[in-house]
Amino acid sequence: MGKTVIDKRPGSGAGRGGFRQAQAWLHTWCGLWFSWLLYAVFLTGTLAVFQEAITHWMTPEHHAEEAAQEAAQAAAQAAGQVASRGQRLAWGAAFMEKYHQGAEMWEIWPTDAQGGGELKVYWFDKQREYADADLDTATGEPMADGNHGAARATEGGHHFVDFHYELHAGQAGLWVVGVAGMAMLVALISGVITHKRIFQDFFTFRARKGQRSWLDAHNAVAVLTLPFQLMIAYTGIAISAMSFMPAGIWSQYGTAPNAIQTYAAELGEPGKPPLSGQAMAVPDLESFAARGQALMGQPVRAVVVDHPGDAAARVGIYGWNSDADADKRLSPNTGMAMFSAASGELLQLRMPGKAEGGGASLAQSVMGGLHMVKFGGWPMKWVYFLCGLAGTAMMATGAILFVVKRRSKHMGEFGSATATVYRLIEGLNVAAIAGLGVACIGYFWANRLLPLGMANRVQWELGVFFGLWLAALLHGLLRAPAKAWLEQMALLAALCLLLPVLNAVTVGDHWPAQLLRGDWESAGVELGAWAFGLAAVWACRVLWRRRALVTGKAASSTANKLQVGA
Amino acid sequence: MNSWQASGHALALAFAGMTALAFAMDRHHEQLTGERDIPLRRSRLLRLLGSLLLAAALLPSVGGWGATVGVVAWLGWISAGALVAVLWIAAAPRWAARAAAALAPLALLGLWWWA
Repeated sequence: MGKTVIDKRPGSGAGRGGFRQAQAWLHTWCGLWFSWLLYAVFLTGTLAVFQEAITHWMTPEHHAEEAAQEAAQAAAQAAGQVASRGQRLAWGAAFMEKYHQGAEMWEIWPTDAQGGGELKVYWFDKQREYADADLDTATGEPMADGNHGAARATEGGHHFVDFHYELHAGQAGLWVVGVAGMAMLVALISGVITHKRIFQDFFTFRARKGQRSWLDAHNAVAVLTLPFQLMIAYTGIAISAMSFMPAGIWSQYGTAPNAIQTYAAELGEPGKPPLSGQAMAVPDLESFAARGQALMGQPVRAVVVDHPGDAAARVGIYGWNSDADADKRLSPNTGMAMFSAASGELLQLRMPGKAEGGGASLAQSVMGGLHMVKFGGWPMKWVYFLCGLAGTAMMATGAILFVVKRRSKHMGEFGSATATVYRLIEGLNVAAIAGLGVACIGYFWANRLLPLGMANRVQWELGVFFGLWLAALLHGLLRAPAKAWLEQMALLAALCLLLPVLNAVTVGDHWPAQLLRGDWESAGVELGAWAFGLAAVWACRVLWRRRALVTGKAASSTANKLQVGA
Repeated sequence: MNSWQASGHALALAFAGMTALAFAMDRHHEQLTGERDIPLRRSRLLRLLGSLLLAAALLPSVGGWGATVGVVAWLGWISAGALVAVLWIAAAPRWAARAAAALAPLALLGLWWWA
């Protein structure tokens, strides 16, 4: 470790002292400027682990519908009245023929993995958006949309997924999160180098010791979950590698806007034939489904017809991964068999858990599976949730540590503006840490409180989320930090603890009833909210005591001064 | 062994192993016994025991999820076990030691039962 001095400008810590000091400087500033964004990415990503459960809680009108549908299906199955897969495929094809002639692709989901369930059809509408329809499994007629009118429009748990990786800002947001992910890798590695006593302090947590405790907590959550944190940051960047490093695609396919689609089509669907212009009716799909099922060894999830009505049509058969499959494979890919509709020849076969495009493609698919925990079932989701919370705590403790360190010792990094910048950082801490919590739980409240029939309801729910966050920022910047922390934590605690009450009042459902009928997903959301609420109550208690302590000290020091003065 | 049983066993073994590794260190040994220094033999023994327990946590992981996912699950449970160990030792070192001493043999017995 040579003592190379790179920069001797006063006020700049970069490159001062040895290698380790340089890394400490990098860790402090890279960590600080990205910690608020990374905290938001981590908290929402952690919640996104349970996106299906959150969506389930946020669509209570569907619960009765789902239960009724299941009961009807069970009854039909018992009476032997369930339409066969062949019949359902024929209905799906007839529906597309009748209502969506000229669609370039049909996608029919005939049954669930057990041979029952819904019959769904997808296609691309005129705007090239995915469109779908539910068909009646007894008659093959499109289902009336009437019962959907009463359901609340919501993005559900997907809001957290979308915010987590692109901040609801599309490609621009993806880039911002990608840069933050790189910064996180830099902060992790420089943090390990900076941490001199990484093994001696491995299990150390000293409570109630001020700055020491914050440092211990920051070290413990980071070091103990380091494999997870490195993996999640790396795979998070690698998933979008094609967006972040487009040079490879540019050099082969050019920079035209549709180059990326051409690339994706050639990678994922090699040999997709162009339209021939000769008409040919879509053949019976069941025979393709049966052959595909036999080849890939999985029940049929989806039948996709490219260029329907043309002689160059292809029929793709996609499989269902069973829970056992998903438990033991890192790649979430299902089986797939592709046939020529005209000749019935097998064009392409992908076995479950494999990928087209060789080892690199498989690695990419595994990275996606690793990042989004598509493997291992519920226990792995809980491990990811726990490690995600540890990562969230790592960001929060790091940002707070920066301020705590400078409360006792003014470091003058920003010259005469130092006090103002410290104050700004403290306000940002409140808004980023407590304020985002308030915004997240506020999103759940919005889901229950916004009127069902309102226009643009989905946007309003998001508006509540961002509005609360902005309000928390203003509050954090205007109010004295100690008060801002306490007030936002108290609000967070109240909103979390009262969520089951809100649900009982608005929808008439609550977690004991959910548990009794075996609805673990809804109960998990409400009990989870309680857990966060109790944590916030604890934080309030600590803040309240410290406030009492500080005001007590201030009072006694004024008393001393008065005595001296007298 | 289903994945919930595998989780319970892996977490118990990871927690016990991490606790043993912690009490092999002077600082945490002192928290437990009040003695300044840990005898070298005891330290080595605890370290060996801790490493073996962490390695043993691989068995239920691979048993529950297969070799590929099992290794990933194992790393996850080791982190989870370490977090539990740190919190418990900080809050109540004696109870952490008792829990580790009770859970390790129980989990090993459970593994033997399922094998």
